Amino acid sequence: MSDPAYLPRLRAGRMAATMVALLVPGMLLFGASPASADHLEKRFKVEARPVVTIHNPDGLISVKAWTKRQVQVQADHDSSNIEVDAVQTGNRIDILTRQLSDTVAPGDWRADYEIRVPEDAELQIHNDTGGVRVNDVLGDMNVETIEASVNLEDTAGYLTIKTIGGSFECVRCAGRLEVSSISGSFRFTDLHSYQVTARTWKGDIFFNGEFLPNGTYNLKNHSGLIEVRFSPGDSFDLRATSLKGRVQNEAKLMQPPNHAFFVPRVGESSFGTFNAGQAKVELTSFDGTISILKRE
Amino acid sequence: MDSVGCKELLGHLDALLEGEGRSAADGHLRDCPSCRSLVEDLQAIRKAARGLATLDAEPPARVWASLRVRLEEEGLIGQGRRGWLADVRGWLGAMPWRLSRPALAGASLVALLALGFALSRPFETRLNGSRWTRSTQRSTMLLNAQLNAPEVRTDSVLATFNPVVAASYQRNLALVDNYIQLCEKSVREDPENELARDYLYDAYQQKANLLTQMSEPGDYGR
Repeated sequence: MSDPAYLPRLRAGRMAATMVALLVPGMLLFGASPASADHLEKRFKVEARPVVTIHNPDGLISVKAWTKRQVQVQADHDSSNIEVDAVQTGNRIDILTRQLSDTVAPGDWRADYEIRVPEDAELQIHNDTGGVRVNDVLGDMNVETIEASVNLEDTAGYLTIKTIGGSFECVRCAGRLEVSSISGSFRFTDLHSYQVTARTWKGDIFFNGEFLPNGTYNLKNHSGLIEVRFSPGDSFDLRATSLKGRVQNEAKLMQPPNHAFFVPRVGESSFGTFNAGQAKVELTSFDGTISILKRE
Repeated sequence: MDSVGCKELLGHLDALLEGEGRSAADGHLRDCPSCRSLVEDLQAIRKAARGLATLDAEPPARVWASLRVRLEEEGLIGQGRRGWLADVRGWLGAMPWRLSRPALAGASLVALLALGFALSRPFETRLNGSRWTRSTQRSTMLLNAQLNAPEVRTDSVLATFNPVVAASYQRNLALVDNYIQLCEKSVREDPENELARDYLYDAYQQKANLLTQMSEPGDYGR
């Protein structure tokens, strides 16, 4: 039995539809990410503990450690109204996005950076919007953003992070950590820090890390959730207070003797010693919920 | 019979903490482990705070003079409280002195006042609610006045900012202002609530920090 007369037309139509289905998204994808107007690539030889400063108004900044004693900067931007530059002064590398014309449209400020540094590098990063990601860098670090999110992985040193509305996430971080924000949320995962100070006003704080002996962990918000996870083998002194919110505690705490005067007399609170009380954990909220939960 | 009870102990704290020989409360302390624990803790705090005064950072003498005058005006310290005033030195050493830049010179007072209140915590029980209310109102009025100018300045240049940055600033400033109102309400309802006062002054400090951050355009402009 021969094919009906309409079948060749149908096959041709299907083929055309398939081609359109494949080509159009590809063209759209191509159109959405045009080749960058400008690309910068520079390398600098550095000594031990170099300092790398980055000032960028908008875009993604990715910093990764490598084993070379070099700093490599790769930057891309689309607008001809800005330029990216990297210069070396002694053991310091300054990376900067700057404007070339008097007026730069907001969308023209964007520049994306891929930076490689020795693992002992010290970083000073200022990025208003976009994102900051740092991996495997063990030197001290200072990051300031407005709305840019900050993600750190496998970092150490003295880390100070300040955002206005950007979120912060830290995975396997060590050393000393100070984070502050107005409306950003924080997430600490597999942390190995001996001192953590985290303060946000309207944001959640999630802490799932080790409580090191003699470590201090101070988490504070105004509203939102503070969630802390603990294991049966952890050892800490806990003081959790929510002035107008709730405190949920799954840790069985022992009450220290003769400290009746230091029991918070306002709001909901939970305080006492878990095991030997080697670390000090202080959780404070104004009207948020504090949850101290067993690690699963 | 022991004439000093737990309630009367507060009246003897000065003598006990200053170590001025025997106190009428000695007998009560022997019999009351709670009060004994309180006095021991206060002595330990006092000793630790004295240690802070040995830190190197040494702000100018005029700062001490103005801070002292201010705290005396607030009634938070008296002539005999120089030791506590000196203890603030260590705390001030850790302050972000960037607040004293020209654009926000007044905001440094915010931090000083907040420190003044933090300093006064050990003596809070000596002050009654109305006194706290009065001193808090005076201080917050001053703080509002100090922060008003930089806020107006920032608003005037907001149009030059990246729209995302400007929106973030406005949203977060409104947030902090709202928290200031909430905290002030809590302090009015319970003037002796130390945590509410902490949050209130933290909120002012946060507002000063926000205005400072927005007044620093970075090397690229904003």
